[in-house]
Amino acid sequence: MIEVLFFIAAAVALISAAMTVTAHNAVHGLLYLVVTMLAISLIFFLLGSPFAAALQVIVYAGAIMVLFIFVTMMLHQGEKSLLEEKQLFQISGSIGAFLLSAVLLVELVYVLAGFASPQLINGSEGYFTIQTITVKELGIQLYGPYQLLVVIAAMMLLSALISAIHIARRQKNPMQADEEGDQTL
Amino acid sequence: MSDFLGDITGDFIIPIVILVALLLAGAWSTWLERRILAWWQDRLGPNRVGPFGLLQVVADMIKIFTKEDWIPPFADKVLFVIAPMIVMIMMMLGFAIIPFAPGIQIAHFDNGLLFLLAISSLSVYSIMLAGFSSNSKYALLGAMRTAAQMLSYEVFMGLAIMGIVIVADSFSLSKIVEAQADMWFIIAQPLGFFLFLFAGIAESHRAPFDLPEAETEIVAGFHTEYASMKFGMFFIGEYLGVILISALITTLYFGGWQGPWLPPLLWFILKTSFFVLFFILLRAAIPRPRYDQLMAFGWYILLPLALLNLLVTAAWQLAPTL
Amino acid sequence: MISIHWLLFLSLALFSIGVYGVVARRNLLFILLSLEIMLNAVVLLFIAGSSFHGNPDGQIMYLLILTLAASEVAVGLGLVIHMYRQHHTLDVDKLSQLRG
Repeated sequence: MIEVLFFIAAAVALISAAMTVTAHNAVHGLLYLVVTMLAISLIFFLLGSPFAAALQVIVYAGAIMVLFIFVTMMLHQGEKSLLEEKQLFQISGSIGAFLLSAVLLVELVYVLAGFASPQLINGSEGYFTIQTITVKELGIQLYGPYQLLVVIAAMMLLSALISAIHIARRQKNPMQADEEGDQTL
Repeated sequence: MSDFLGDITGDFIIPIVILVALLLAGAWSTWLERRILAWWQDRLGPNRVGPFGLLQVVADMIKIFTKEDWIPPFADKVLFVIAPMIVMIMMMLGFAIIPFAPGIQIAHFDNGLLFLLAISSLSVYSIMLAGFSSNSKYALLGAMRTAAQMLSYEVFMGLAIMGIVIVADSFSLSKIVEAQADMWFIIAQPLGFFLFLFAGIAESHRAPFDLPEAETEIVAGFHTEYASMKFGMFFIGEYLGVILISALITTLYFGGWQGPWLPPLLWFILKTSFFVLFFILLRAAIPRPRYDQLMAFGWYILLPLALLNLLVTAAWQLAPTL
Repeated sequence: MISIHWLLFLSLALFSIGVYGVVARRNLLFILLSLEIMLNAVVLLFIAGSSFHGNPDGQIMYLLILTLAASEVAVGLGLVIHMYRQHHTLDVDKLSQLRG
């Protein structure tokens, strides 16, 4: 049962990820990515990490992707941006990129399959014995030996906040003002 | 055999009964709102169809089902159809973890509160997609407002709920209800309750925080282009949202099904209906704030208060161990 | 039973799809999306390792990556908006003014 769920989720994740990178409509691409996130969240759940699964939905699908859609909706211009995007990207024009990433995939699988040989994964033949890691265990670890990580994460978020405000703020540059006039976005 | 019967009741009959009851409650709360609002405003409200106008809902349903199911030609068709479904599905899923009474709960989930936050963050999509796919200015404006409003108020909702988690020492809703046997959490978490209430109103985008669909400013917001059954789904979804938030307030802060004399299920329904009525009263009593006022209220007032609440609760909980 | 090899393959395949996106797309928004896919692939590996070995370290790394992704998206989307304001397009090939 668990394998079947895993394979369905994995297939959904791969297909929708492929649809994301090949979509022409930005909002459709984003929604495929949301589906990828939900599939990955299901896999986390099957692996016995309910907290990570919940965070994947709350933070990734619920906050980060909504921000993306927010910006896309602001910049979207209907048919015009669709046509522009079709000029910028066609699947037929990206065979080189496809070949390169396929080669990368083969190499990665080759190298990592060697590392994950049965001797190295202490004789369990690579099969999971699923053990749930509770939120409490995680919290004890996080505020015990990993205290520094919390501080680092906080610093990172603060710096991102400040730089995002600085970048996205409308600059009072006279040269630019001439160019744009009163146009808002 | 009795095990089998027990499984059937637990796995199929109870969820279906809950589902049907919720849909009916969602539909009839539209009637309740119109009657009660009319009563408070010295009017009569719908009173023609059936006794007290109770069958008005049926008449509305017939009307809504037989209307033309129109999809605007300029809309993004697939998204336009999916959007109202998402809100219904998400609201229904939210009820899966609510403990209605001992034993009457669809999913006994250890991380119920996290599931709930996930549900509420995914329900933003229905409104954003509705706004985007309608391809109309007012719908887009409404959707943008909603996105910002719901993203912001989710933060305060999560922070307010964390106070409960600290006191009850569990993410499971049934354990939270059991932890309130001696004392309701409204006494332990008064500030958290108000934060959750504000965040809940904003999340279900009801008046006074109904800026996503402010009629006087942006026509009808995200569902401007919707008609017929798809509009009906948004409508029922909104009322289900109100019932969900009321059920959550009851579960988290007012002891859930706990209460003397009466059976637990009745207590739960009574408490939940009280909050549904409270939501309707809010709509009748309070004017809508401006959009920037809403956001400023959230980030400048609710956020510091939520953090303070969390800090004090944690300190209170840790103090005996020092 | 789920095998670690399947997860390994899933993660690597997702990563490669992300790489393909970054290389092939010219729209800044889609490049950011592809980066998200790559981050997700890495995260999947961390969680798989954590639950395979039964210790929470991988999940703590997941929390760090999650904050990293949030910060990256905040700054990245700020750049997207800024670029759209200045160039009225999201084509990264147009950003060639520093070329000598």
